Amino acid sequence: MTLELKHLDDIDSVAHRLLAAGREQPVWLFEGDMGAGKTTLIKALCRALGVLTPVQSPTYSIVNEYTTHEGHPVYHFDCYRLRNEAEALDIGIEEYLASGNYCFIEWPERVVSLWPARYFQVQLTAGADDQRTIEARLVTD
Amino acid sequence: MIILAIESSCDETSAAVLVNGDMRSNVIAAQLIHEQYGGVVPELASRAHQQHIWPVVERALADASVAKTDLSAVAFTRGPGLLGSLLVGASFAKALALGLAIPLIEVNHMQAHVLAHFIDDPERPEKPNFPFLCLTVSGGHTQIVRVDGPLAMHVIGQTMDDAVGEAFDKSAKLLGLPYPGGPLIDKYAAEGNPLAYRFPMSEMPDLNFSFSGIKTAILYFLRQQTKDNPDFIQQHLPDICASIQHTLIQMLLTKLKRAVRETGITQIAIAGGVSANRGLRTALNQLGQEQNWQIFIPRFEYCTDNAAMIAMAAKFKFEQGDFVDQTVSPLPRLSF
Repeated sequence: MTLELKHLDDIDSVAHRLLAAGREQPVWLFEGDMGAGKTTLIKALCRALGVLTPVQSPTYSIVNEYTTHEGHPVYHFDCYRLRNEAEALDIGIEEYLASGNYCFIEWPERVVSLWPARYFQVQLTAGADDQRTIEARLVTD
Repeated sequence: MIILAIESSCDETSAAVLVNGDMRSNVIAAQLIHEQYGGVVPELASRAHQQHIWPVVERALADASVAKTDLSAVAFTRGPGLLGSLLVGASFAKALALGLAIPLIEVNHMQAHVLAHFIDDPERPEKPNFPFLCLTVSGGHTQIVRVDGPLAMHVIGQTMDDAVGEAFDKSAKLLGLPYPGGPLIDKYAAEGNPLAYRFPMSEMPDLNFSFSGIKTAILYFLRQQTKDNPDFIQQHLPDICASIQHTLIQMLLTKLKRAVRETGITQIAIAGGVSANRGLRTALNQLGQEQNWQIFIPRFEYCTDNAAMIAMAAKFKFEQGDFVDQTVSPLPRLSF
């Protein structure tokens, strides 16, 4: 599916539509250049899932854990600072990915060999004047 | 009272020894490795904390001329931080406390940053009085903390997305500078005009911050400018850096001014790695003079992640008898 985001105000409706399409997949990979809006979209997804605490960037912490109001954990990764897959294994990424809980992963390019066989891929592209194109699809290897 | 403190919340493994009020040692793994091997310092190297913790602790004890059996207590960072990193420090501290049969003290990393101001430093004899405000700024955090006592503090403002240090590093990346490039922005900014370009300052309610919008603003700005002139960045780097730095600093200081207005507190402390930024120090000191604030900036080694601040926080807890037992576990999202 391809979604056009014309204004930032529309991001919550985009988040709901993405969740309707990817709800069955726990692992979501977010690709897009710096400033494309990956963290902002994940904030909206977490809001839609009922996360009440602030969703902050995990660039420094590598992984943030949030809890929905129903008590389900949501994991928010940023692999930007990882230099290789071994570092991801050191922080236990496999256990998070196998947990069955939502794992929203920014910069997944750094850990390609650890991607699961099935995942929901979300690509963000920045257009003119704050517009964004969001392409999403279910990938099964 | 002799406290051994261990910090392992993120990239740095560090150990410090505090003897009564005297910070006898503060060893950081990166320094130790550099001294011993003269080699490259790993950033987030695999198993790094596990490899470093013993040598770092041994060195901290040796530098302080203290034997393990002299210790009165062991302190460690419980959070916030990366779980795998925190576990190394916590497990080590628990085992040592158990083996020596001495009290164990858990410390909140963010509170310790604030309490770094109370480390005795002959070059900085003046310490803040309670209550004071602390602006804690680093790669992972941006907070305004109201400090009413050593163990009585609360966050009155914080970032809702990116930390300010991250905004510096990512802006640098957009300019093609190596990551983490925050210090390079500071360096180039010194030669540039801070008002050359204008970037929007995000409007957040209350005392909270948002730094994610500036990345997008810079992205669009550079895309526009390099369309007309492919060498735009190279030709105007100092002005671009100075303008970005000016914007980020103003966003911090605007909220700080508001916090002073709302609390009536005029003693202002700064903590965290970004307090090494020269532009921020200068702007804060200037504002302090204008507004008649008293400004406190700790020495650099106590600003970045270090175990001395953990030891300082532990001293206050030791005096209160605030100990934990062996069931304690790290909390990656620990708040206060």
